[in-house]
Amino acid sequence: MAKGAGTTLVIAIVGTVIGCIIGFIVGLIQTIPVNQNDSVGKKILLKIVNIILKIYVEVFRGTPMMVQAMFLYYGAMILFNINMGMWTAAFFIVSINTGAYMAETVRGGIFSVPLSQTEGAKAIGMTHFQTMVNVILPQALRNIMPQIGNNLIINIKDTCVLSCIGCVELFFTSKSVAGTYYTYFETFTITMAMYLIMTLFFSWLLRFVEKKMDGPAEYDLATTDTLAYTSGTLTSPAKEHVDDRGLSDRHE
Amino acid sequence: MSNYDSNSGNGIIEIKHLGKVFGKHEVLKDINFSIKEGDVTCIIGASGSGKSTMLRCINLLETPTSGEILFKGKDILKEKNVAAYRAKVGMCFQSFNLFSNMTALKNCMVGPMKVLKKSKEEAEKEALFYLDKVGMSPYIKAKPKQLSGGQQQRVAIARALAMHPDVLLFDEPTSALDPQMVGDVLEVMKKLASEGLTMIIVTHEMAFARDVSDRVVYMQDGIIWEEGTPEEIFGNPTKPETRDFLSRFRNM
Ligand SMILES: Nc1ncnc2c1ncn2[C@@H]1O[C@H](COP(=O)(O)OP(=O)(O)OP(=O)(O)O)[C@@H](O)[C@H]1O
Ligand SMILES: [Mg+2]
Repeated sequence: MAKGAGTTLVIAIVGTVIGCIIGFIVGLIQTIPVNQNDSVGKKILLKIVNIILKIYVEVFRGTPMMVQAMFLYYGAMILFNINMGMWTAAFFIVSINTGAYMAETVRGGIFSVPLSQTEGAKAIGMTHFQTMVNVILPQALRNIMPQIGNNLIINIKDTCVLSCIGCVELFFTSKSVAGTYYTYFETFTITMAMYLIMTLFFSWLLRFVEKKMDGPAEYDLATTDTLAYTSGTLTSPAKEHVDDRGLSDRHE
Repeated sequence: MSNYDSNSGNGIIEIKHLGKVFGKHEVLKDINFSIKEGDVTCIIGASGSGKSTMLRCINLLETPTSGEILFKGKDILKEKNVAAYRAKVGMCFQSFNLFSNMTALKNCMVGPMKVLKKSKEEAEKEALFYLDKVGMSPYIKAKPKQLSGGQQQRVAIARALAMHPDVLLFDEPTSALDPQMVGDVLEVMKKLASEGLTMIIVTHEMAFARDVSDRVVYMQDGIIWEEGTPEEIFGNPTKPETRDFLSRFRNM
């Protein structure tokens, strides 16, 4: 059973991480702005890609993961004659399912960052991509950390539906142990506890990560050393620039 | 270095027949004026007269519906690389628009590093220089939300200066500030004016406009009603509308 729990964890963590990556990519594409003077080709391409992504999100959010698992696993087997194997199938299904949820979450996260910061970034000449990477996404990520944690916990629990395609995770192993020794109540008490321990641990861990991301609540005033450095060694870093505009190169 | 170096017109920025329509609302009507290099131009006018819209058009945060904006003789509305243009014409906002995920120092470094491709060391040196210039060097490690409005605005000015802009636009930089902080920010702007930086400032601080500007523009209903030297506009306005508007600021 411990091995089953390990499998559950690995699938949940890998699935959540890949799912988040998918979610970020989808969310990023969906929030690319179209300008009036963009080429027609770009506009059409973006439109098509967005429709496909929208379908992906709606289909995988709107159907149970267990059904998706059966559909994809047996679909691959019958239509394409591919046997994905337990790990591939599990990673694939959990990732793609999480990705659909995360796409919407990431989009929300991006919109949660005030537009004023995008304008601030534009005003210093940053491109859309630079703004996303340096300003918006770090804040969006912080804002959606609770949902990412939620998703991880849901995934830890929901991997049990993968037992339907023969994935030997915690629920599957518990069932076989219980069946072999006729100890249903005892076994599933332990199983309950194991799920709970895993989810509690990760809620705690994610809170911790969130705190770390927030950084210190206070800041140090720059020391006299730094200030001496600032005013002592920096006469004018932009000499030629300052000169050609007639700005004085002294600053107190 | 840039494609803007050849100077053909007489003003660094020339606005010709600029119009902006939001839906059916004609916010700017046939705006014409030109900005001389090194000049400080203050734009005054009642709320809703289109001051912000005009400034945002100059920075291409809004796309004008008609007319031309020439920067060093080139029509920026035909410019493909909008980001490169914005790097040369900076903007400071009423609400500061700092990046909340970065310290004051990082706020001033990200543009030079990402847009101007400066090394981290150089960007940091310059950021420290400009933060010192605006009197914010003790607070380089603070995040925006840990700073007062006046402090945030000064960081925002340092961030804009770190891009070595040719022109700096200000949209009511002190309107969101408590009275006791207005002075600090205006002080910084006066210093920049005396150093010869080309600035266009939308402001309700009439005393400041009178003291620092080379030219004052009075706007009403999307039209430039009257423009002239501060002496002309404040001392002896020719239009009754201008006189009317200014009579509300008799405490200066
Ligand atoms: N994005 C927009 N969509 C529609 N109308 C807008 C938009 N932005 C501004 N307007 C309208 O344009 C007019 C001018 O607005 P603008 O913000 O330029 O005025 P302002 O002179 O800056 O006023 P204030 O002194 O209050 O800042 C207003 O009537 C406003 O409602
Ligand atoms: Mg305004």
